[in-house]
Amino acid sequence: MPEISQTLHFAENDLQVWSLTFMALVYITRIAWFLRFKAGKERQAPTGAAHTTPRKGILYSWAIIAMPWAMESTRTKPLLYAQFVVFHLGVAAAIALSFVIPYGPGLLATPGVETGLRVIIGAAFIVAILRIIRRTRNPYMRAISSPDDHFSLWLLTVWFAFAFLSVSNSTAGGEWQLVTYFVLTAFFLVYVPFSKISHYLYYPFTRYYLGKSMGYRGVYPLVRSKARG
Amino acid sequence: MSATTTEPTEKALKAQQVIDLLGQKLNRQVVGSLVACVHCGLCTDACHYVLANPGDVTYAPAYKADRLRKIFKRHYDWTGRVLPKWVGAATVDSEADLEELKDIVFGKCTNCRRCTINCPMGVDFATFNRTARGLLVSVGIMPEGVAVVSKDQWEIGNQMGVLKEDYLETLEWMEEEVRDELDDPDFRIPVDVPDSNVVYAINPREVKYDPRSIADAAKIFHAAGEKWTMPSDGWDMTNFGLFSGDDALGGSVSRRLYESVEALRGRKLVISECGHGYRSSRCEGPNWAKRDVDFEMESSVLTMLRYIKEGRIKVDKRRNPEPVTFHDSCNNARSCGLFEEPRELLSLVCMEFREMYPNRAENYCCTGGGGAMSMAEYTPRRLKSGSIKAKQLQDTGAPVVVTSCHNCVDGLTDLIRHYELNMKVTQLVNLVANALVIEERVVVPVEEVPVAVPVEGEAPVLAGRVVLVADDEEDQLEFLASVLEDNGATVFRARTGDEVLTLARREKPDLVTLDLHMPGRDVGEVFELMRGDPELKNLKVCIVTGKPELRRLIYERSVRPPEGYVDKPVDEKRLLLNVRKTLEVVHREG
Repeated sequence: MPEISQTLHFAENDLQVWSLTFMALVYITRIAWFLRFKAGKERQAPTGAAHTTPRKGILYSWAIIAMPWAMESTRTKPLLYAQFVVFHLGVAAAIALSFVIPYGPGLLATPGVETGLRVIIGAAFIVAILRIIRRTRNPYMRAISSPDDHFSLWLLTVWFAFAFLSVSNSTAGGEWQLVTYFVLTAFFLVYVPFSKISHYLYYPFTRYYLGKSMGYRGVYPLVRSKARG
Repeated sequence: MSATTTEPTEKALKAQQVIDLLGQKLNRQVVGSLVACVHCGLCTDACHYVLANPGDVTYAPAYKADRLRKIFKRHYDWTGRVLPKWVGAATVDSEADLEELKDIVFGKCTNCRRCTINCPMGVDFATFNRTARGLLVSVGIMPEGVAVVSKDQWEIGNQMGVLKEDYLETLEWMEEEVRDELDDPDFRIPVDVPDSNVVYAINPREVKYDPRSIADAAKIFHAAGEKWTMPSDGWDMTNFGLFSGDDALGGSVSRRLYESVEALRGRKLVISECGHGYRSSRCEGPNWAKRDVDFEMESSVLTMLRYIKEGRIKVDKRRNPEPVTFHDSCNNARSCGLFEEPRELLSLVCMEFREMYPNRAENYCCTGGGGAMSMAEYTPRRLKSGSIKAKQLQDTGAPVVVTSCHNCVDGLTDLIRHYELNMKVTQLVNLVANALVIEERVVVPVEEVPVAVPVEGEAPVLAGRVVLVADDEEDQLEFLASVLEDNGATVFRARTGDEVLTLARREKPDLVTLDLHMPGRDVGEVFELMRGDPELKNLKVCIVTGKPELRRLIYERSVRPPEGYVDKPVDEKRLLLNVRKTLEVVHREG
């Protein structure tokens, strides 16, 4: 294992733990705030086909993001959907890397792991660039974007870049890329609860309630349009 | 205090009320939708307004949603309190802000929910758009049409202001018509019969503009041997609360309907074909009314389908030979899961069905949804955004579009006329009634009773009647006039508003058939002048129009409404039916 500076050690360990703790605390507060609102109640008898139920609706609703054929918006834009998949795989890989480097660096020596992470994170970086272009050039995207939307995307893009450079966990050329990656990770963890990046915190809830209602009313699982005829 | 200092305070007060009320309306579903949007833009292409107005970003669902989201963030989400500009939070502090919000939530969205089902995050924009409408309504900011219709539903009990006597008279009229048609003296449209299996509730549009659909439904119930009734009160199953976002109105209207069924001890409430009526009565009503409902409720589509499947009625699909397509109402398909049954029913009563694309829950709005038909100020936008629907209709090549929604009937009729599609709109009830096979009655002559012998040369139905036909389109004018003349009426023709007044005063007709759009003097003004003229005030008026959005020119005037109404295109049978009915109307005032 290579010798590392105290700065890098701090960035890899204590800083991450503090940031994670902070994020967890804010998340707990955020969820408690969300749950303070009452859930609307459905009093009516179910509608729609008998095989649709709230339970099926909820499961379908949660899984819909993994079923690009289910919604017209993802079905008709396969490239955007592919970008979504790569981007989020990149996020998962870069987060995993922030644990692997300090707590299980040996894993990177496993054949294929380093290359795999490099490919995923590298691809996510390219997608992030494409997303920046789309958000700044598409008039609709520009109109709906807040400073937070732009900043969050830039933050992740830069983070991907440094994660990509850090995959080898090598300090041969200096520690700057690793220190920057871990500092960015810490900043990312602290910033997330205040930004749109926290959307994954709400996803289970919004999709749960929509799925429950749509399942009860026979709309979920969605029946796709039948061919013209 | 001077007016100049009072005005800003009042404006600020309304904005503050909206902010405060928003806090009271927030529930977990709405908050989830307000916080979860990632501005990914995938909803953009789901909206027919966007597709029909390329480049105008203000129609994008996420953009529209952000108009309310920013207020929520500024006042109820601490990220917006701490860093408002950073997360796009902002307040409303003037009436101009509220007017801008009104323009978005009423004028740029029909609450069709198509963006909802296309949002990866499950953001239900339509639901919180309705919430935003409700907030504005609560401070009196809404399109004029919404105010008028809501007032009618609050005060008169139905959203078209149909009086009880007019409703009952229409039922009697339809009863006579069907009795004659079937030659069946036992035929009844039962009213207030307790302990019935079915209590049938309708849309007031049926009474006012489409009584034939009541007759058709009655024929079907009769043929099925159903023990059914219509309530004399609480008969309107529509609910403008769905469109205005006013839960109090929604609850009140629903309670009225449920209580009428309970008062009659009805076993099942059957809701006539109406998307928003079905959703309001069947799904949202118990939530708004905050009460459970013990009786069953179903759409008449399911009732008709069951009658056929159970062999209670027989149908012959050869009677509907024209190819038909089906338009899914947003409320039925995207909010209540009602989309396969109408297709099954169509396959039983029509020779040829052509699916339009997309369909079911993915169908596009007719553009008349969300109360849009009552908001005349947005008509140009509505018609422009309808180009998507028009293309969809045209691509089917079918001459007939069927829908299970009265709003959609009006919305589609308007689009068909605007885009000159050469199609007609009908409902399932009309097709089922048309396909109905009714065993001919075997009449056994009773010797003691003299058998009526048809009199040769019996007088035509309109003999002795004088009718003034007003229309600026020459072919329409000739068609209407010749039908009436062929049936014995003496007809005068007017082509402008001024001619109507002149001829009405000179010829003293029994009836004027009035087109709403003619050159010269405004037709609404002509109508009001006739009502105010002592010599003409009792003159019967039947509106014959191809522009239903202009109804308000007549119906919102503070004079007695017209006695009859017919939508164009009109055929001979429907024209005669309505003219005869209009001539029979007796006014009870005074």
